[in-house]
Amino acid sequence: MARPPHRDPMRTALRHAGARCAALCLVSTAATAAGLLLPAVLGRALDLLLAGAPATAWVVRAAALVLLSALLDGCAGVLAGTADARATAGLRKLLTGQVLALGPRAGNRFGAGDLVARLVGNAAQAGTGPAALAALLAALAGPVGGVVALALLDPWLAAVFLAGAPVLALLLRAFTRDTAECVAAYQREQARIAAALAEAAEGHRTIAAAGLQDRETKRVLRPLPDLARAGHRMWRVQGRAAAQAVTVGPLLQLAVVAVAGLLLSRHRISVGEVLAASRYAVLATGVGVLVGQLAAATRARASARRLGEVLALPAPAHGDRPLPPGPGRLELRGVTARRGERTVLDRVDLTVPGGTALAVVGRSGTGKSLLAGLAGRLADPDAGEVLLDGVPLPDLPHDVLRRSVTCAFARPALLGTTVEDTIALGLATPSYAEVRAAAGKAQADAYIRRLPGGYTTRLSDAPCSGGESQRLGLARAFAHPGRLLILDDALSSLDTVTEHRVAEALLAPGPTRFIVAHRASTAARADAVAWLDGGRVRAVGTHAELWRDPEYRAVFAARAAERTAR
Amino acid sequence: MIARPPRVRRAVVVRLAGWSALEAGQTFLLGYALARALDAGFLAGDARTGLWWLAVAAGGVGAGAYGTRRVYGVVADLVEPVRDSLVAGVVARGVREADRGALSGLTQQVEIARDTLAGLVLVSRSFVFTVVGALTGLCALAPPLLLVVLPPLLAGLGLFAATLRPLARRQEAFLVADEALAAELGEVCPGLRDITAAGAEAQVAARVGEGVDAEFRAARALARWSVVRVAALAVGGRLPLVLLLAAAPWLLAHGVTAGALVGALAYVTQSLLPALQNLVHGLGTGGARLTVVLRRLRPPPVPGPPPEPAAEAAAGAPALSLAAVTFAYGPASTAVLDALDLVVPHGGHLAVVGPSGIGKSTLTAVAAGLLHPAHGAVRVCGHPVPGARAAAERVLIPQEAYVHTGTLAENLGLLRPGPVPLPELLAAAEAVGLTPLLERLGGPEAPVRPAALSAGERQLIALTRAYLSPAPLALLDEATCHLDAEAEARAEQAFTRRPGGTLVVVAHRIDSARRARRILVLDGSRTAYGTHEDLLRACALYRDLAAPGSAAASQPPLAL
Repeated sequence: MARPPHRDPMRTALRHAGARCAALCLVSTAATAAGLLLPAVLGRALDLLLAGAPATAWVVRAAALVLLSALLDGCAGVLAGTADARATAGLRKLLTGQVLALGPRAGNRFGAGDLVARLVGNAAQAGTGPAALAALLAALAGPVGGVVALALLDPWLAAVFLAGAPVLALLLRAFTRDTAECVAAYQREQARIAAALAEAAEGHRTIAAAGLQDRETKRVLRPLPDLARAGHRMWRVQGRAAAQAVTVGPLLQLAVVAVAGLLLSRHRISVGEVLAASRYAVLATGVGVLVGQLAAATRARASARRLGEVLALPAPAHGDRPLPPGPGRLELRGVTARRGERTVLDRVDLTVPGGTALAVVGRSGTGKSLLAGLAGRLADPDAGEVLLDGVPLPDLPHDVLRRSVTCAFARPALLGTTVEDTIALGLATPSYAEVRAAAGKAQADAYIRRLPGGYTTRLSDAPCSGGESQRLGLARAFAHPGRLLILDDALSSLDTVTEHRVAEALLAPGPTRFIVAHRASTAARADAVAWLDGGRVRAVGTHAELWRDPEYRAVFAARAAERTAR
Repeated sequence: MIARPPRVRRAVVVRLAGWSALEAGQTFLLGYALARALDAGFLAGDARTGLWWLAVAAGGVGAGAYGTRRVYGVVADLVEPVRDSLVAGVVARGVREADRGALSGLTQQVEIARDTLAGLVLVSRSFVFTVVGALTGLCALAPPLLLVVLPPLLAGLGLFAATLRPLARRQEAFLVADEALAAELGEVCPGLRDITAAGAEAQVAARVGEGVDAEFRAARALARWSVVRVAALAVGGRLPLVLLLAAAPWLLAHGVTAGALVGALAYVTQSLLPALQNLVHGLGTGGARLTVVLRRLRPPPVPGPPPEPAAEAAAGAPALSLAAVTFAYGPASTAVLDALDLVVPHGGHLAVVGPSGIGKSTLTAVAAGLLHPAHGAVRVCGHPVPGARAAAERVLIPQEAYVHTGTLAENLGLLRPGPVPLPELLAAAEAVGLTPLLERLGGPEAPVRPAALSAGERQLIALTRAYLSPAPLALLDEATCHLDAEAEARAEQAFTRRPGGTLVVVAHRIDSARRARRILVLDGSRTAYGTHEDLLRACALYRDLAAPGSAAASQPPLAL
């Protein structure tokens, strides 16, 4: 059923940036080679000049190398930048497609915030992977070439460098203090301010009404001096670390120059070679660059792995069976759904005749929302099947499925720029009249018309209480007329009058309705009620029939008690 | 950007320059000591002198490192006050506008600004002092060297300066595109269920794709502009190398020694080129980032005090009066309040009912002076609204109760100029029904953590606070929605029995309306007004509200 999703994110990144990365590898390695040749050529030219010999040829060579390495550096910069951008864009599109195909499954598995982090941060980091790998050869060639060049000038020079490097590095490392502690102190103070600010933002109406803005601002800022103290300490610790970092390179280089000077005084090398040696010592300390480059490649790999986790989830497939004309009969046959180890729904059989309204009731945690999700194919059952007018939902093409089945939720996510957008979400050709009619049916028209810009009010400017956003969600469902309408507790935050009016609209003959309900009044209006208990359908009947059972009545009493406690 | 006493800033800059001078000294010594080590030491056959000069250079490295260390301390003195004022700005905005974005501003953008500003200061200062050290060294070795090195360096800097602005624009475009994409995805990911349900995958993918493409184009443009940096580096940092070689015969003829030439080459490759490189990279990206972040953190214009009409309070004026008040959220939108007349006498008790979203909260906000009607006049105890005197006569308790971390007494006395006397505080707690919570927490001086309280407990605290307020008119905007029916009744009765107290309550349950002396029913353009019995007779909507047709097991809320 699921299509094989095995797509390696790194391979995708390489496909988008492959040619560039190959070029980058060549160009950056060539640039490093030019950089390695330059000191030798400079030294040779210097020796000839000092000797008063004709040196034009060597000066020209040096100039050519300088020009070449500048050109290569320029190319490498552009190639690396564009390769990163291409790979990142390619990965983001691939991942967005996958996340949208997975739908709520992705949200359940990873959480929305984590998905955003993967799409934004991890994709960008993974996108730098190909270029980082391509530049690795050049980063390796620099320090290795530097040491080799030192050895070629005189083995003693390389020996001094190789002996000194670890000694100095270890010596200085011993002084490095752990910065984690003072960073933690800083973040603690920051969190105190943030917490107080969050409280004040929550109570802004009280604060504004009482004119307490200045007083409360002062109170929130009370930990600021502590924050500043922690901040100063952070800089001091950083300063110590930086001071240590800037001594290693120059001291190593001076050690090499000292040995080169001694060799010079014994006429074993020339002045030009001393110059070259000092330059090669600098190139050899470029190990730091290599380490950084390796770390970048590793980070990219780790990020790619996080993208891979999302890509590895099987996305639901859609079939191509046509949906025969019908009243919208919904059948659930032996439907079992597990969440982790827990079997939430256990072989549920349920049929909703076309055009009727079924209310699903039960204590919280009995899987009512999950059942609604299965009926709307927001999830697939682990066993059993869901059929609409005789066709299993996975056999339907995507567009047919979504045109035929619509859903509204207790807490709808309001997407889009304007109020109008959010109601018309998913409509191929939304019309203003349709949107308005749907809003009217959901009792949202009066509320929307009171907003600053009516239907074109930006969502960010539309104050939405629970009841108001629920009505926008209902309007969205009503704007998609299908043969099956699923309401997952979608009337729970409406006041009684509005609920009554929406229910009137729902009672009119129309699509099959599958209504997860918490209020007795909603259940009473449905043609039949399915009472869910412990993952099974305990009884199906009319509300009046079931009401005789005290345990059935207890379901609603428990809900009422929960609401008050909240 | 940020106003600070100029003397403090000058002192900091002087210290920054002082410690940076040590780094300049290190730069100076690296080239100069190398030249002297060659000329006076190794080339002259005096290895000991050569080593001595190199040891001096090593000493310079140590001193420079010490300078670097101290520089960070000074940078802290420069950056931390800026951070302080940014935090203060963000907090002021957050408190005033209830901007949840202020939180991310506090923890992320302020930190980006802090790090970037420090980076800019460090990089540009390091460049200036490295260049000063190197140029001084060149001059000390042989002034003609300056003639060769300085012109290309200036040209490279000029090239960089000229392209800084377009580069910063690209950088900014990239940051903006990146944030727009993040915002878009931040909306899509929590709404995946709804996208699937609406079959809007393709539509959303296209939208996100546009964002991805926009970010890609901005990143590509930025990558292409990086050539400019390479060009500036080539001209300013690499060209002097070639010029030194080309001019070597002339330099050697004008008294430049072999050591001086090596020293000059070392200055160019080891000091000037890296310093220029850091500057070009640091300023190119950091400057734009800082600009973008600071723009986002810019404090909003603080609104001036509302105009205080000079009208005098009429003697014996009602607690609240609205005369022909019309209010709409936008010029094109339907009026929420349409020519509404309303009078609540002193000691009165009015309940406002109606479907949710119809404008009940708007009415309380207009009465409190938080929203300003397009037409009509609002008065509280005869004082015109908005105005400081009217504001002193009313207290508004919204649905979201405000409780802050602190003691219970602090929270309860928020609306009082000074501390509340203990007996009065305890009496108020008893009247409103806070006593059990007060005892559980451990008395008025017990610390309160809002997160540890239930919504109902927070509402009790807010109600007691309002009860203790000196204002006679209390506006309860669903302020009891998280209390059970008995607790709600007790709190409301406390307010009606408050000496001289007038109560306007946006009713959450029908009981709440039944208790009121007068009821205002809002239903779009129509309103109805009267007692419970009047309205049951005359108002169909009120009948619906009061006696819902279905047999609900519990008394459902009127509105949430």
